[in-house]
Amino acid sequence: MPHSLVIETHELSKRYGSFEAVRSLNLRVSGQRITGFLGRNGAGKSTTIKMLLGMTHPTSGTGTILGQPIDDNKANREARRQIAYVGEDKQLYGYMTVEQLVRFTKSFYADWLPDIEKRLLKQYQLPLDRKVKALSKGMRTKLALLLAFARRPELLILDEPSEGLDPVSMEELLQTLVSAAADGTAVFFSSHQIAEVERVAEQVCMLDHGNLVADLSLDHMRQEYRRITAGFRSEPSPERFHIPGVQHMHARGRQVTFVATQNAETVVALVRSMEPVSVEVTPISLREVFLETVKEGT
Amino acid sequence: MLWYKAWRESQARFLLSAGTIAGLCVAFVVFHREGAPVADHAQTYAEYIWRIVYKGYLRELFVLLALLLGVGGLLRERDYGTAPFTLALPVSRWHLLAVRAAVGIVEVTILSLLPAVILPALSPLMGEVYPWSQAWQFGLLWSIGGAFLFSMGFLASIFFAGEYTAAVVAVLAMLSYSVAVELPVVERYVPDVHDLMSGVGMPYFRLDTYHLVGPLPWTTLGGLLLLVGSSFALAGRLTQRQDF
Repeated sequence: MPHSLVIETHELSKRYGSFEAVRSLNLRVSGQRITGFLGRNGAGKSTTIKMLLGMTHPTSGTGTILGQPIDDNKANREARRQIAYVGEDKQLYGYMTVEQLVRFTKSFYADWLPDIEKRLLKQYQLPLDRKVKALSKGMRTKLALLLAFARRPELLILDEPSEGLDPVSMEELLQTLVSAAADGTAVFFSSHQIAEVERVAEQVCMLDHGNLVADLSLDHMRQEYRRITAGFRSEPSPERFHIPGVQHMHARGRQVTFVATQNAETVVALVRSMEPVSVEVTPISLREVFLETVKEGT
Repeated sequence: MLWYKAWRESQARFLLSAGTIAGLCVAFVVFHREGAPVADHAQTYAEYIWRIVYKGYLRELFVLLALLLGVGGLLRERDYGTAPFTLALPVSRWHLLAVRAAVGIVEVTILSLLPAVILPALSPLMGEVYPWSQAWQFGLLWSIGGAFLFSMGFLASIFFAGEYTAAVVAVLAMLSYSVAVELPVVERYVPDVHDLMSGVGMPYFRLDTYHLVGPLPWTTLGGLLLLVGSSFALAGRLTQRQDF
C-alpha cells in the first residue's frame, strides 16, 4: 500500500558547530508524484536528504520516510529497501567493473528488474567490463541512475541527478522520471536546473539557508501566480500593498512590482482602485519565483 | 555481497602482503646459508629461522602489514565519496563493520599462517628441517597478535579519514604501545604482543633450542581476543554516531 506522504519532517534541524545547515524544517512530500527540491549551493538540500536516509543524524526535530522514523536505525534500514537513491557526487566503487557493481547492487533488492537493467545498459551504452574508475563523469552518472532505475521502489531520491549529463541523456532522464511517477513511484529530486524541475515536477519545495521558504504546486503557480507591475503619478506608500496573497514587493520610485500568489484578479482590481497610470499583469515562471524567494532570504 | 565488497577493498593490500611474506619466507629458506645473521656462536637452523622470521624482520613486517590491513572503512569511503552509496544500501553500519572486520581477520590469519606452511614445507628441499608443530604454534601466536594489531588499524580508521592519516596514526599508536609495554609498571598488566608473538622472555619459549615448549599462554591469548572484540564493538558504537 503506497504511502500518501512519503517524507514528513517536523522541526528538523542540523547544526555543524555554529553553522546551521538545516533549520526547523517542516517538509511534506506526497507519494506517487514528482517533487522538486530547489535551493542554492549550501542551502541544506543534501544534508536534508542525508538525514532522511539515516546517513546524518539530526541535531533536533523528527521525521519519517515511508512512514518509518528517520532516527530509528532499524526502521530506516527497512525503509531503504523501498528507496532508490542517487547521491550528489555519483561516486561508485571504482575498483569494480560495471558488471560487478550491477551484480553487487541487485543482490540487496528484491524489486530488481532485470529487463530494465538490460534495457538501460544498452540505452546508456555502458561497457560491462570497464572499471567504474575508468568511466567518464557522465557515464558514471548514467550507471548511478541505472542502479536506481532498474528497480521499482516506492520512493526515488535523486540529488542533482542531471549533473554531468549531455542534453540527450538529460532528456532521457526526465522521461524516465515521468514514467517512474506514472508507475506509482514518488520522485523527490534536488536540482539547480530550474527549467528541468519546472518541466517534470508537480510540487516544488525551496530551501534557502536551511529554511523551507516555499512549498508550492506548479499547477497552482501557473494558474494563480502573476507578476503585477503598477506605475503611479506619485511615489506610493508601500503599506498600501500589504494585501493578502501579495509577495516579493519591490518599490522603485513611482513603480511597484510584486507577485500575487492567489486571487490575482482581486489584487489587480484593488491596485486599479488606487488609480495607477499603468498596470501590467504577466505570468511568472518558476525561475522568477525561485529568484524572488531566495533574494528575499539573503 | 558485502563480503565481496570488503574483499575487493582490501584485495590489493592483502595480495601484496601475502606475496611479500611468502617471497621473503622462500628467500630466507633458500638463501639461509648466505643470509644468516651475525652471531657469536654456530647458529642452528631453528635459531636462524627464529631470529630472522619469528623475532626478526618478517615479524616486524607482519606487524606493519596487519596494521595496514585494518585501515579503511566508512570514513575513508566518505573521503572517496562512496559513503552515501554504501549507506543507502539496506544494511546496518554494524553489518558493514562486522563484515570488514571478519574479512580482515581472515586475511591476517592467512598471512600469519604463510610462514607456518612455507618454512616446514620448503626446508627439506634445502636439506634442513623445521618442525611443523613449531611453525603452526608460532602461526597461532601470530594470528592472535595480528588480530590485535589489525584491530588497532581498524580503530584508527574510525577516527581518521585520510588515506594515509589513519595508517600513520595506527603506526604511531603501535609504536607508543611498544614503548609503553617496556615500562615495568605497564609490563605487569599489559601483554607485549611483540614478545608474545616471538616468545622472547616467555615461559613457553626456550632460548637454547629456539623452540616453543609447554602450553601456550591461553589466558593472555584469550585476553587479547577479548580486546580485539572490544575494539570492534567500540568501533561499531562510534560509527553508529558518525555523520557521513
